[in-house]
Amino acid sequence: MGEDEVVLRVENIHKKYKDQEVLKGVTFEVRRGETKVIAGPSGAGKSTLLRCINLLTKPDKGRVWLEGVELTNPKTNINKMRQKIGFVFQEFNLFHHLTALENVMIGLTKVKKLPKDVARKKAEEALLTVHITEDLWNKYPAQLSGGQKQRVAIARALAMDPVIILYDEPTSALDPQLVGEVLRVMEELARKGVTGLVVTHEIGFALEVADEILFMYGGKILERGPPREVVFNPKHEVTKKFFENIKRLYGGR
Amino acid sequence: MDPVWWEYIPYILQGAIWTFTLVGGGLALGFAIGVPVAMGQKYGPTWLKAVLDVYVWFFRGTPLVVLLFLFYWGIFPVLLGIKLDALTTSVIVLGLRSGAYQSQIFRGALNSVDEGQMLAARALGMSKWQAITNIILPQALRIAIPGWTNEYAIILKDSAICFTLGVVEILTRTRYVVISTGEALGPFLFAGVLYIIFTYGGTKVFNIIYEKYHIPGLVGKGM
Amino acid sequence: MGFWEEFIPLVLHGAVNTLWVLVISIPASVALAIALGSARVYGNAALKAVATAFVVTFRGFPLVVTLFLLFFGLADLGIYLTPYQTATLAFVLCGGSYMSEYVRGAIRSIDIGQSLAARALGMTKFQELIYIILPQAIRRALPGISNEIIYQIKYSSLAFVVGYEEIFAVSKTFISRYFMPLQVFMVDAALYLAMTTAAAYGLRALEYKLRIPGLEMSIR
Repeated sequence: MGEDEVVLRVENIHKKYKDQEVLKGVTFEVRRGETKVIAGPSGAGKSTLLRCINLLTKPDKGRVWLEGVELTNPKTNINKMRQKIGFVFQEFNLFHHLTALENVMIGLTKVKKLPKDVARKKAEEALLTVHITEDLWNKYPAQLSGGQKQRVAIARALAMDPVIILYDEPTSALDPQLVGEVLRVMEELARKGVTGLVVTHEIGFALEVADEILFMYGGKILERGPPREVVFNPKHEVTKKFFENIKRLYGGR
Repeated sequence: MDPVWWEYIPYILQGAIWTFTLVGGGLALGFAIGVPVAMGQKYGPTWLKAVLDVYVWFFRGTPLVVLLFLFYWGIFPVLLGIKLDALTTSVIVLGLRSGAYQSQIFRGALNSVDEGQMLAARALGMSKWQAITNIILPQALRIAIPGWTNEYAIILKDSAICFTLGVVEILTRTRYVVISTGEALGPFLFAGVLYIIFTYGGTKVFNIIYEKYHIPGLVGKGM
Repeated sequence: MGFWEEFIPLVLHGAVNTLWVLVISIPASVALAIALGSARVYGNAALKAVATAFVVTFRGFPLVVTLFLLFFGLADLGIYLTPYQTATLAFVLCGGSYMSEYVRGAIRSIDIGQSLAARALGMTKFQELIYIILPQAIRRALPGISNEIIYQIKYSSLAFVVGYEEIFAVSKTFISRYFMPLQVFMVDAALYLAMTTAAAYGLRALEYKLRIPGLEMSIR
């Protein structure tokens, strides 16, 4: 189990919705401890790609491996494997009927079947890691701000001790002033060596912690490389245009 | 040898005339009561609201069979000194009860017509009464149609309870057939299926009415 | 003994019998409703079809017909139910079917994100239903279920058709001894009004107790 061991391998993923080809053969790998950012215009297939990895969406063609186990093999117990893949949604999707603490605990108690006290301890640790303080643990999602909700959602993923966390535009549904607190948590996790695959428009985040940017366009990876290279010195005209627009819109921190 | 039950199917089917007299009469009377009650509850003075609340509470909270016996044996002959036959009593009781339910349907519909409609009507110089009859009611009645469809399905099934007073509707006749043939499963299943068919058939009719009078964009809020 | 001295103990005895049915039939109806509602959304095609047919049947049959079918119809097949069993079973079949519509509607009203998040955690479909969907759906269905519970209290008066000695049955027999229908049936009405009004307040309190911020009970 070296530092550069491949934990996620995605090979030639295709996905079609009706007549529209959303993914046209996507291949890449993620190594342990790495953070990769997927960027690209909307409609490029980024979110679909992410959901194809944990099979929330079934790819039409192609294969996915996590730590050498093929997820796309029908014989694989996908529920077992999903426990090892954290997923953070754009819309948070916290369970409405559970408190912040219970949201983080439920995967541990019901899916991993950990005893309640062990689960509670792990959940509390995860919440503290994302800077959700004790006064918020018993609040329901509706009583939290967007930034707090998304941090709880990250804690819910983190507490499961995942091999990798997939982030699907985690800051897109947030008010601008709340984006920072979520990005800070994600950066801290990346620095700690939590493996991550992040769909985001936040180039600041990418430049800060990403090992590689995958730029997607029209259902394919058009361009890839170290963040600075892809952002400041792209090979393709579309890539250049995209990042220029992003910089204009977000001010490129 | 006893006759077989299916030879009596035409006899049972004739009960539909009585069943639909009960349903039609009950719904119509309920409508005639329900609409003014709803308007009284929304726009009337406090004392009227209180009286109407008691009416609704009593008829919604008391079982139909108790109401039927109370009116048939008690209120009409003893209290009011009038002798009404079983069918008339049943229609009146179904109507009084349905009026209580229908008033709630219309009240919901009235509430879901937004306040701006009333203000706009008054701004045009309409009186409160003109605004209610010309602007509010036409919208509320349309919004209430789905609720009315539901009320039809309820009153149809409840009409079977009128067998207790001997109205010769579907269930009363089915019971005669059971007694005279000694078979119960077939006749009661047949009656049950008949009610299902009438429920769906009637619902279709109400849906056609709804489509006909439906105005795009006009839907009940929170109904 | 006079009218009141005889009637009051008798009708209270009937009321106890009424409650004795309801105490079983109401929780059993709710349980059946949850099972039917879940099967109609989460079940496979066969289960959906069976559950739907079940609901269409027992919502479509008038309750009196169901009572007669269970008591006299099943007897044709050699199955003999007591009046108590008949009444309880009929109320559960009918009430469960009506309530299941609220459960089904509530399940379908839960946003898809809840289901996605549950699956992303590695939950099975069944775990998702039990731990994530139903706790929310039941809360949303509660006002509708409450209405049906109140209906069931009133419709329990129909158990007399199979000879069960509840409130209305004892009253009906009693007026052949003392012909005082006004008093007798007003007492009945008062008893039912007391039960339905108390149930309405109790259920409202339960809804209030179970409420969770942001999980408004929208379906009524």
